[in-house]
Amino acid sequence: MEESAKSVMEPLAWIFQLISGLILTLLITIHFYLTHMTSHTALHYNEVVARISTPYYKFFYIVLLFFVSFHAFNGLRAIILDTNFGARNRNSVNAMCYTAFIFIFLYGTFLVIIL
Amino acid sequence: MVEFRIRRFNGDETYWESFEVPTRRGMTVLEGLYYIKENIDSSLTFRASCRMGICGSCAVKINGRPKLACETQIASVGNKIILEPLDNFTVLKDLVTEFEGFFAKHKAVKPYLIRSDVSYEEPKELIQTPSELRNYYIFTLCIKCGACYSVCPAAATRDDCLGPAAMMAAYRFCADSRDRGEDARISIASKDLAVWRCHLAMECSEVCPKKAEPAKAIQLLRRKTAVNAIKSILRW
Amino acid sequence: MPILDWFKFTNRSVYSLAFAIQRITGIILLFYLCLHLIFLTSLTDRTGETYESLIAVTVSKQFLLFDILLVLCGVSHGINGLRVIVHEFGFVYEYRKVVIGFAFFLVIVAWLYASYVMYCLVGG
Repeated sequence: MEESAKSVMEPLAWIFQLISGLILTLLITIHFYLTHMTSHTALHYNEVVARISTPYYKFFYIVLLFFVSFHAFNGLRAIILDTNFGARNRNSVNAMCYTAFIFIFLYGTFLVIIL
Repeated sequence: MVEFRIRRFNGDETYWESFEVPTRRGMTVLEGLYYIKENIDSSLTFRASCRMGICGSCAVKINGRPKLACETQIASVGNKIILEPLDNFTVLKDLVTEFEGFFAKHKAVKPYLIRSDVSYEEPKELIQTPSELRNYYIFTLCIKCGACYSVCPAAATRDDCLGPAAMMAAYRFCADSRDRGEDARISIASKDLAVWRCHLAMECSEVCPKKAEPAKAIQLLRRKTAVNAIKSILRW
Repeated sequence: MPILDWFKFTNRSVYSLAFAIQRITGIILLFYLCLHLIFLTSLTDRTGETYESLIAVTVSKQFLLFDILLVLCGVSHGINGLRVIVHEFGFVYEYRKVVIGFAFFLVIVAWLYASYVMYCLVGG
């Protein structure tokens, strides 16, 4: 089981990196459009809080955060594993990157929920 | 006269040395190197064998790009030819680098047909159609010159990375209809030192002197590995 | 340093260039993600003062250049990423020249358009 778990992690991480990348091109475009390309006031405090208070935006932000944190920290993991340091410390690098992904996702979700 | 500027290594220090070589139309960089060795400095060391682009011995960096010295015309390079040993390999002397690691990685992917039903006592003809051959033929053209490995960004920073040539060999045999050893090779390819180190720089395909398309082979091997992994999950 | 070999631009094809840019923009965007979350923590100040003071600096004509560069990073990482997705599945590898040319063209068009709109909105 452990051998199979090792050998499926990399292919699954790769597939999900590509899927998250694909989804992010859409979500980030929407996010950027709404915040930087609609009106002069889109980034004022009141409007930001008004957006983040609605359930639809909360859901959108949580989904965006999930994909972006996975994509970012899996990408970082791939970069570190490209080095000899990463080769020697493979398990630690994997653990730290996925921990960072979960931490960033949970912290961001916490922010979205309380605001 | 053309200037050959060569990065040399004598075991202790690296230094540059220039040689003036009389050239004529049609002369290759390898012929220039032989001229230097025979007429100017016999201590200049380089690898060469067939002189016709099939053995893969004479791959060197010519003006920054890895090429076969025997297949590069001096006239196509210019009046100043800068020669360096291949990157990502340990230099032994002058333009000669160690290749044991490269060949060991190639050997590690089991680059031979694996079948349990053939024996010397009862030889069996293995039939293959032309279209089955076309599936992998281009990947058989590798002459193991090391040019692809020298430009791979993953090989630059990770010593145990298999490299494009070994992974192309792995795919060449996986795609061969006569082979039954895909499982053994996929288990090697699914390690993190193999296909997962490729991030599509595609420089290997650009420098391959045989145009064997290693980058394409690696992507196809990656796809095979991923499909294999998903199938193994669904079987649980 | 061996890591600098990832970012070699001389004697390399356009595909290696795209790889180097993808890696650099990925690292930049990772830093930006963390900064963005720290920035948004200021929203927890319900008076809005901390957030507005940060916005006054970062959404201004003076900061527009950084914003435009960030958009270039984002757009090139995204569009080049789509090209990588297509090729990493083993598709249209033979047409890689056309694909990278088209991707580069899309990056320029999308970036110029986004930069122009941002420039107008910030009062330029």
